[in-house]
Amino acid sequence: MNAPTSVEGAAMAESEPPARDDGLSQKGAPGWTRFLLTNEFGLVTLIVIFGAVFALGTPGFSSPFNLFTLGRTMAIDIMIGFSMMVVIVTGGLNLSVGAIGVCVAIGCGWLLEVAGAPLALAIFAALALGAALGALNGVLIVRSGLHSFIITLATMSVFFGLMLFLTHANAYRQVPLEFSAFGKMRFAGYLSPLLLVSIAIGLLLAGLYRFTPLGREMLAAGAKAAAAELSGVRVGRTIVICHALSGVLAGIAAVMVVARTGAAIPQMAGNLGQDWLLPAFLGPVLGGTLLAGGRASVLGTFLGAALVSELTNGLLQFRIGEFWVQTWLGLLLLLAVLMDLARRSFLARRGV
Amino acid sequence: MLRSESVLKMFAAAGLALAGWAAPAAAADATKVALVPGGPHPYFAAWEKAGQDAMKDFKLGAADYRVPQKWELSQQNSLLESLLSQGYNAFLVFPGDPVGSNSTVAELTENGAPVIATAGCLKEPTTALFCFGTDTGNSAYLGTKELIKAMGGKGRIVHLTGFLVDPNTQLRIDAVEKAAKETNGAVSVVQVIADIDAPEPAEEKINAYLAAHANDVDGIVTTAWVPAVVASNALRKIGDKRIKMVGIDHDEVVLKAIKDGYVNGTMLQNPYGQGYIGSYALDRIRNGCKVKAGAPFKTIALTNRFIDSGTVYADKDAVDNYVGSMQAITKKIFADFASTYLTCP
Repeated sequence: MNAPTSVEGAAMAESEPPARDDGLSQKGAPGWTRFLLTNEFGLVTLIVIFGAVFALGTPGFSSPFNLFTLGRTMAIDIMIGFSMMVVIVTGGLNLSVGAIGVCVAIGCGWLLEVAGAPLALAIFAALALGAALGALNGVLIVRSGLHSFIITLATMSVFFGLMLFLTHANAYRQVPLEFSAFGKMRFAGYLSPLLLVSIAIGLLLAGLYRFTPLGREMLAAGAKAAAAELSGVRVGRTIVICHALSGVLAGIAAVMVVARTGAAIPQMAGNLGQDWLLPAFLGPVLGGTLLAGGRASVLGTFLGAALVSELTNGLLQFRIGEFWVQTWLGLLLLLAVLMDLARRSFLARRGV
Repeated sequence: MLRSESVLKMFAAAGLALAGWAAPAAAADATKVALVPGGPHPYFAAWEKAGQDAMKDFKLGAADYRVPQKWELSQQNSLLESLLSQGYNAFLVFPGDPVGSNSTVAELTENGAPVIATAGCLKEPTTALFCFGTDTGNSAYLGTKELIKAMGGKGRIVHLTGFLVDPNTQLRIDAVEKAAKETNGAVSVVQVIADIDAPEPAEEKINAYLAAHANDVDGIVTTAWVPAVVASNALRKIGDKRIKMVGIDHDEVVLKAIKDGYVNGTMLQNPYGQGYIGSYALDRIRNGCKVKAGAPFKTIALTNRFIDSGTVYADKDAVDNYVGSMQAITKKIFADFASTYLTCP
């Protein structure tokens, strides 16, 4: 493991609020206790507990078909969570993740159906479009000095409106069969390959933040931009890159949706792409990524998104009434956070 | 501070409580129909009663109305996948998207569960058996003809309709235009206000338009549920009954406005019949029947396997008996449904 640079050290120290500064309380604890105190361990515990409850409570939950669909949904939610996480790291937001995702999907569909592009080229070009739209967000934020909330709120409408204007809300369904077959493919009867894609991208992101100067610059720019600037980080450029990366990740989520539905459809993420906003925030926030910026938890985001997907799926299986799912989801998430707090408190008393 | 042991006990209790709510599985070979709309909407409320009646009359294992909590394709897809895992083996589905729902429908049918696209169609090619719904274009055309008659054959019409992403919307817009054009210029469609099949945009846009242009309008045709309700209320507020209106569906607000003379009539659709006959058809298919080759399906924009679930105009004289009108349509379609559309051993 690389030693943290001074920039990263500054980033972590500046960004951790006192109430959740586990780093301070963990310093004197042995290694295993530190692991037990992590947010990620708490999420794994909750995923296992809820999984056991759902599997025991309803036969459908552990059926191969349900595990397959759960993994597929999880894969998309995880990618959406990643696309927000890489921007939250800078202390910003990207409300246009859904709109960018729809533009990428429609771009991919247009290239396949109208332009007759080969699949690989269509996906690459569509992801490049996602990167360009994300980078445009970044440039507008840096040049205007306005908060990313305002800029991406505006571009959400602009991107989605332009897409509707150009396509007249038409869907593209001439997707190559092998591509839509990929969305339906099952390994061992229950594992979706889309989940493996999400895991691979999660590993790449973790490598980015842990092992590359660019990743550390992203963390530093989010923790304290002025200090990072003094340390030689080109903060503006870094923010543009983060937004471009967000666009690419939102694009990958969109391409997964195209593979899953076998078509590129304008309303795949709801009006203006707003349906993606909840999963975009839930994964990173539950996973321990600080909204103030300066800290990213790739594993936490992965597990946070996985927990939400599991809860939603399990509650549907329990047939508690579709209208109550959202209420129960909220209550269980609140309970999950309280349990995590209790676990930390208990272990801190024992271990520190 | 919560102790971890007590929290774990609480979890275990919650898990057991939730487990207790899980309904017992029905016999494996019984037909268990799920009636799944695209999201919450009053139009589909009749499906619940239709499912209950079908379950009783045809001795089904279940015929349950299951509503996605929001109008999101992903929510509907997740619900359908979950229902299949829960043991439902036949589906009446209002497609959340005529193209995007095809993939999920294909997965349902690949797992042995027949699907009928209900109240809205899937774009061909699809693995759904057929589409069973209102011929929306024809309904809009007939409604506009009734409006033109009420207007004395001349004047200016405003068309209030649903979401632009719904392919039915363009069919409705075209049908209203067609009816107006047949008057050789005596009637014109001066404005189409779309994307308003939800309370907030409907209230905002309809009231704003009428506040500014009520004097320039002689008739209103609505081809979506919520705009019909909002426009009925708006005409009641205006109160002079000069503007004629033909609505759609059977919301109490619209029916009362017809009785009181503020609205001329409404184009009734047949959601009850869709749920009742659709559940019956799925059960027959699961018990060995096949869709008849050469059945007299209609062709519409999305599919060439369309069955009209019926539409009828109800004015002041007919509005009190609108339930009877819908039942009569259902009875008529049901009487020869099996012999017309199915081949049974």
